[in-house]
Amino acid sequence: MNGVGEFFSWSRFVDDIPRLLPYLPVTLGIVAYAIILGVFLGMVIALLRIHGQWFFQPFLRLYISFMRGTPMLVQILIVFYGLPIVLQALGIEANRWDKIVFVYIAFALNEGAFLSEIFRSSILSVPTGQMEAALSVGLTRWQAYRRIVLPQAIRIALPSFGTDFIALFHGTSLAFLIGVVDIMGRAKTLGASTKHALEAYLFIALLFIVASALLRLLFHFLDRKLSYT
Amino acid sequence: MLRIKNVHKSFGKNEVLKGIDLSIDKGDVVVILGASGSGKTTLLRCINFLEKADQGKASFGEVDLDLHQAGKKEIQSVRKKLGFVFQNYNLFHNKTALENVTLGLTVGRKMPREMAEEIGRKALNKVGLSDRYDYYPQQLSGGQQQRVGIARAVALNPDIILFDEPTSALDPELIGEVLGVMKKIAREGTTMLVVTHEMSFAQDVANRVIFMDQGVIVEEGSPREIFSNPKEERTKQFLRRILPEYTYTI
Repeated sequence: MNGVGEFFSWSRFVDDIPRLLPYLPVTLGIVAYAIILGVFLGMVIALLRIHGQWFFQPFLRLYISFMRGTPMLVQILIVFYGLPIVLQALGIEANRWDKIVFVYIAFALNEGAFLSEIFRSSILSVPTGQMEAALSVGLTRWQAYRRIVLPQAIRIALPSFGTDFIALFHGTSLAFLIGVVDIMGRAKTLGASTKHALEAYLFIALLFIVASALLRLLFHFLDRKLSYT
Repeated sequence: MLRIKNVHKSFGKNEVLKGIDLSIDKGDVVVILGASGSGKTTLLRCINFLEKADQGKASFGEVDLDLHQAGKKEIQSVRKKLGFVFQNYNLFHNKTALENVTLGLTVGRKMPREMAEEIGRKALNKVGLSDRYDYYPQQLSGGQQQRVGIARAVALNPDIILFDEPTSALDPELIGEVLGVMKKIAREGTTMLVVTHEMSFAQDVANRVIFMDQGVIVEEGSPREIFSNPKEERTKQFLRRILPEYTYTI
């Protein structure tokens, strides 16, 4: 079966695994930074959109529609080429920064926009009566948010958040476009150097499938745990 | 105890409250009657600042307030003296019955947990829910939820409890149990301001009845005066619609 072996071989598959796995942390790192910064940013923006003064609104809406209306690819390139220029005008020298920082920033900005819409709609889904009842027993708005509204909003947001999280995971593969070698990028370089790319991509595909399945299980478990609340 | 003067409130072009004066003394059980749109719910919500009145002054005991310009701290301190029972209960979905009742005490007043829970349990016992402390709202019937809502207001030991159509969202079989609790606390001397359509409550328990129509108080008096001897034409029309015969039977 020599013909098929030209395109795919299990031994190459097994050989590629230890070459690829060291780069998994890069991918996970991007996801981690993007989610943590994105959740924070998204929550701030959501609350500003709901409660903030009117002059915030046009800027926030512009930011969100840009982030949601352009391809991630374009955003990474804009951040990578454009941010150093902006920073230079502010007197910050960004030339020595590791490329991956730009990736973190681009994904964090993107996540912030998407998550802000998820959070905003889920907060608005909590019946206003909940806040009114909290105020009527003497809680401050902040106390009401923290103890009553946000816990319920998070439960509502969980499915959308999970979907977004998985999409982020898949999206990190674009980092290679500016030369950051995450696991996807490594697969490409392996393919270039060994002339056999299929095994590497197959392994990555399997990794992503497993990761997505684990994430779905995690969110399912979280959803059950928050029930009867 | 509570004096309100000249309350005005409009929503856009719609003037809902056109100058309301109202006073409540300790121990009063005041019922506000009126058709939908008469402004009764809005009035209640202006009193505890869920709506901001356009104009109006209030005195809560010794404290004087402007209903339009009151600051956050003033509003918060007033809210601690007023209990509010909502038409659709508004129990905290993510808290148990006991937690619903104690939250205002532990978080709002920084009371220690054991003390708050003791008060909470007493309140829940009073409304007949001593076996439901750890139930979540979804696990309770409408009548039970509303009774928790009443317990929640009672636990705060407020000067006045405001009731916004407390039985309007309930199935007929459940109205009785809630009215029963309300009658009980009225007889114990709780000062209550109640917006309701339940005429039995107005006739049996209230000591004052106010009839509102289109944003003004048309008539007010004792239940006997209003129900068997209404003076204003609008009052008579309303009563004719609501009660086939509005004579006060002894």
